Amino acid sequence: MSGRAAIVHDRSLEEYGFGEDHPFNPLRIRLTLELCDALGLLDGYDFLAPEPVSEEELTSVHTLTYVRMVQQASRGAGDPERLLDYGLGTPDNPLFAGMHEACSRVVGGTVLACRLVAAGEAEHAMCISGGLHHALRSKASGFCVYNDAAVAIALLKRERPGIRVAYVDTDAHHGDGVQWMFYEDPEVLTVSMHESGRYLFPGTGGVDEKGRGAGAGYSVNVPLEPFTGDDSWIECFEAVVPEVLRAFGPDLIVSQNGCDGHALDPLTHLCATTRLYEHIPRRMHELAHELCGGRWVALGGGGYDHWRVVPRAWSALWAAVSHRPLPERLPEGWLLEHAQHSPVELPRLMRDDPADYPPVPRIKEIEAANRRAAEAALKTVLHLIRR
Amino acid sequence: MLLVEDSMTREVVTVSPETRADEALALCRERRIRHLPVLEDGRLVGVVSDRDLRSATPALGDPARAAALRRLRVGEVMSREVVTVRPDEPIEVAANRMREKGIGCLPVVEDGRLAGIITTSDVMETLVFLVGANEPGSRLEVLMPDRPGSLAGVAGIFGELGINIVSVATGPRQKFPDGDTPGRVAVFRVDTINPSRAIEVLRRAGYVVLWPPQGS
Repeated sequence: MSGRAAIVHDRSLEEYGFGEDHPFNPLRIRLTLELCDALGLLDGYDFLAPEPVSEEELTSVHTLTYVRMVQQASRGAGDPERLLDYGLGTPDNPLFAGMHEACSRVVGGTVLACRLVAAGEAEHAMCISGGLHHALRSKASGFCVYNDAAVAIALLKRERPGIRVAYVDTDAHHGDGVQWMFYEDPEVLTVSMHESGRYLFPGTGGVDEKGRGAGAGYSVNVPLEPFTGDDSWIECFEAVVPEVLRAFGPDLIVSQNGCDGHALDPLTHLCATTRLYEHIPRRMHELAHELCGGRWVALGGGGYDHWRVVPRAWSALWAAVSHRPLPERLPEGWLLEHAQHSPVELPRLMRDDPADYPPVPRIKEIEAANRRAAEAALKTVLHLIRR
Repeated sequence: MLLVEDSMTREVVTVSPETRADEALALCRERRIRHLPVLEDGRLVGVVSDRDLRSATPALGDPARAAALRRLRVGEVMSREVVTVRPDEPIEVAANRMREKGIGCLPVVEDGRLAGIITTSDVMETLVFLVGANEPGSRLEVLMPDRPGSLAGVAGIFGELGINIVSVATGPRQKFPDGDTPGRVAVFRVDTINPSRAIEVLRRAGYVVLWPPQGS
């Protein structure tokens, strides 16, 4: 039985962004949704528009002082020096007018998606503007001002006491913000697979970060070597994610689907292709049906090759969420419309051709190191997780 | 900053030469430590490790072990020639002393009095904070000419781009890829998820960015 999927979106969510020249650019969202539409994947679906979350809801995970700082920054007030202490006004997180409202609305999107799924009004839901996983309690970080997934999980816990939520993050960067916010909480399992923090931002996400106190075992980290490709990534995903999710027994799964691990992404050093970004949503979907009656909320995240990677990867995500097969070709109309603006040549096929992505040198060492990381991750947490 | 007194443990668990081996081992277990300074009349006379105590008695499982551990006194197995460090010495001096002597801890002595203890774990923790590995950041390795002003040049580029430096460490000398120019590698942790612009400017200015590799 496959139930109804929901897509949470509104044009106003695209106001969250840091300008034309910044990697975190709402163009990614626009191109994705236009591609989904042109592929016919949105036929029969209306966007469900979210309300912004309230200040009170934001403070379920953020400090009031920090929210006040964002509000000041949002209306062009506030002492720039002081704002810097909160990560606001840096090159990563430049100030823009209305940033508080825009980000509160993105958080509202993820909250709405989670509420719909938890209440059974939708079986699965996607909010592609969500996935701002680096935002910390009192600090903007890595393009993220408020932590939508963390707020949504905290509100689910408040509204449905005892609910167990699994958060699975396959962005190329470690899902640090969400991890730290639930680091001592055994009711929220956070799983992050990412490029090793040895070089890449934020630098955390080692296997030993397993949670603390009652939450020990409920933070799972699988750091992958730079230049990891589809095969090794999928192998590690399959070794770790199903097993820890089964051990935990979630009532609802939230996935952060950053697609910045693609070989073309300018900010990271991984070598995945669209194969990975088709595999992960398909498996999250299956696991949600196996473990929690299909209750699955899919979010976006990183992804900085705006033209070639993000629209295809996230269309594949929506296809999985909405139980539709992924078409083979990009529609001529979409290509025609965007070819003139795109600074790079646009792909014509939805799936990458493996021949365009030859294996990297040292692949055996990379695969062996990743296998060790996956084994170590399981060994670190599995004996601590209780249903 | 970076002195022994900034990293040492001040509340030291000590024993006397007359302490029984089994009691000393129990202390190590309870407090999860491996080294015990030995004091006599308030004076440091030795150091004993859990390993000294174990290897001086019959092996685990031997029925004679418990009795031997009760009989044995710390004074019989402790090292008497204790290598120490002063609290005002730099931490790298302590680290190097431990490395050269092949030991895992140094009692910290001030005016003949035991003021603390510093172990390899304390040094490791200091290293973690020193390189800023506990704060969000990206790691860049930059090969710069081994000349005055090089580091300022790199730091200036980060400064102009508004990128905050979390930590910087420079390493030993190393030649440029041309095999000629003397260089030095610096490892920066910078507070940004997006170092690509900085990398581009650094390369244009003639610095060699060793990590991340070009073209990825």
